[in-house]
Amino acid sequence: MTGSRKDLVLGSVLFALGAAWSWAAWTTLSPGFGGGDIGPRAFPLAFGGLLMGLSALFLGVTLSRDGAAAAEAEEERILWGPALLLMAEIGLYGALLERIGFLLATPLLVLAVLALNLKVRRPAVLIGMAAGMTLGCWLLFGQLLGIYLARGSWINLG
Amino acid sequence: MEMFLHAAQLALDPWAVGAVGLGTFIGLVFGSIPGLTFTVALALALPITFAMDSIPATGLLLGTYIGGMTGGSVSAILLGIPGTPSAAATVIDGHPMAKRGEASIALGAAVVASVFGGLFSLLVMIVSVNLVSRLAIGFGPAEIFALVVFGLSTICGLCGGSMLKGLLSGVVGLMIMTVGMDQIEGVPRMTFGSISLMQGVSLLVAMIGLFAVPFIIEASSGTGGAADARATRVRAEMPGLRLLMSKGWLMVRCALLGTGIGAIPGTGGAIASFLAYDHARRMSPEKASFGKGNLDGVIAPETANNAVTGGTMIPLLSLGIPGDPATAIVLAGLMIHGISPGPALFMNHATEVYGMYAAIVLAYFWVLGLQLAGIRLFVHVLKIPRELLAAGVLVLCLIGAWSVRNSVFDIYAMGVIGVLAYLLVALRVPITPIILGMVLGPTIENEFRTALMLSGGSSDIFLHSPVALLFLGLAALVIVLQTVGELRLRAYKQKVNA
Repeated sequence: MTGSRKDLVLGSVLFALGAAWSWAAWTTLSPGFGGGDIGPRAFPLAFGGLLMGLSALFLGVTLSRDGAAAAEAEEERILWGPALLLMAEIGLYGALLERIGFLLATPLLVLAVLALNLKVRRPAVLIGMAAGMTLGCWLLFGQLLGIYLARGSWINLG
Repeated sequence: MEMFLHAAQLALDPWAVGAVGLGTFIGLVFGSIPGLTFTVALALALPITFAMDSIPATGLLLGTYIGGMTGGSVSAILLGIPGTPSAAATVIDGHPMAKRGEASIALGAAVVASVFGGLFSLLVMIVSVNLVSRLAIGFGPAEIFALVVFGLSTICGLCGGSMLKGLLSGVVGLMIMTVGMDQIEGVPRMTFGSISLMQGVSLLVAMIGLFAVPFIIEASSGTGGAADARATRVRAEMPGLRLLMSKGWLMVRCALLGTGIGAIPGTGGAIASFLAYDHARRMSPEKASFGKGNLDGVIAPETANNAVTGGTMIPLLSLGIPGDPATAIVLAGLMIHGISPGPALFMNHATEVYGMYAAIVLAYFWVLGLQLAGIRLFVHVLKIPRELLAAGVLVLCLIGAWSVRNSVFDIYAMGVIGVLAYLLVALRVPITPIILGMVLGPTIENEFRTALMLSGGSSDIFLHSPVALLFLGLAALVIVLQTVGELRLRAYKQKVNA
């Protein structure tokens, strides 16, 4: 996809977001009571409107851009696979954190990220990083600095 | 003079020097890890002070505060992930310098600028504590709103290639911060029935997601910050004295700006550092090199955000008003030790006040020593294989996101915001304006609504205040100048292409 086409998609998505946001703000939030109270709706609504206006302007500018300028704005390749994989891993880590705790969820995450995202294949590196990062962080943050790290509701290793 | 000498004697006691050093070290560690801010460090350090005498105790707290404010620049420069919101502006030019193999120069300049800013603001505080506090307290909602609008106008200068993309990015940041409970009326907004969303999106969590997740995704393709930095030789070269001296006037201007912003309650280091960055860019003859690794882009925000530490002490000591959550904890620490800030402070606790001044000076010497000694060590972070660095950064960021509110929601929010940020980066949309929008969004709304409530709905409150008019005028001027510049640049490019 060329940079110009990506800009068209970006502008359209942001315009749609602004429209949906404004509609949600209009229908779910109450207006002010007057006398200086503009209420909780004014700012979200104004920001939604601003996003729509700026997106429309951005779309207009993109459509009016000539070929040379469009070529100049050639964009880099989007890594959809790694991005979605990482989001899924973070989501899974969040779900596991409360169930099996920091000490078990963290090495699983490190293993998954190293093996699947970062393509590390050496078992010594995988195990060393998973165990080292988990125990190091547990000692530094949990024990030395006294920061609360999640304990599992299913399995609790402390 | 006698009291000052007595206070200096107490502050230079080995226990007190050690306490300041410990606080500074804790602050540096917490400040340099994204998500673990100096506010968290102060909350953890506070109970340690219970059994201490007043001067070592306040020294420990002030050291933690100052160390934390300075430490944010380490990860901002090395990894492109700011340790604290105050260091977000440092990323813009500090990280490109690290990619060029000049990490140690950027880190060294950041430390010197931080120490200069901090000591300068201390001097200003000592000389003008009464005058500045009277001026700062005159800032009502209308004036703070106008100041924040001026701060927001700097988005125009942070847009990189396209002003429209930068503005879109800034509006997205403003929108994100409206999610959650309305701070004035206490009703949920844009939560779509979700209880988790009622707590809103934490600025820290969003900041971690915005900067860290794109770094990790790019690492999985063999591109991105650490990989680029590894391509060049990692040097432990310090900035020369002559180079730093040549930046003296810039540091003085940014230190004055930071002290002034810090003296206004409700503002803080992030606003000061963005304003200073924008000021440095505007005044520079090499505007085009900003965002690509200009040293002024590191010195300006680091001077200003550390100058905020002295600025926030002005209303804290003279009026008992903490400017931000961190100084609120310092205030609590002072009160626990029987020191009640306010107009009578200098009469009742002169020794302790002078002791605090001495502790601040000591803390900055500790910062200078620890950071300069550590730079040769810090730059070796760039030698770590990118896969291992990315995995380590991810774990640290997840701990940081979790520890903000001990909530899994923050981990999910970090992931979602991070992936969206990656998509924006890939589409060449600058993400720094999102941070600026998120930092300034709540203040701009709260102050505007409060001002209107105070005036009964009349906009005259903004028009009758000379300070508000000045800042609104400056904001308009910045926007006009930037728009004209952008249009001229576009016309020039079209002419060249034709």
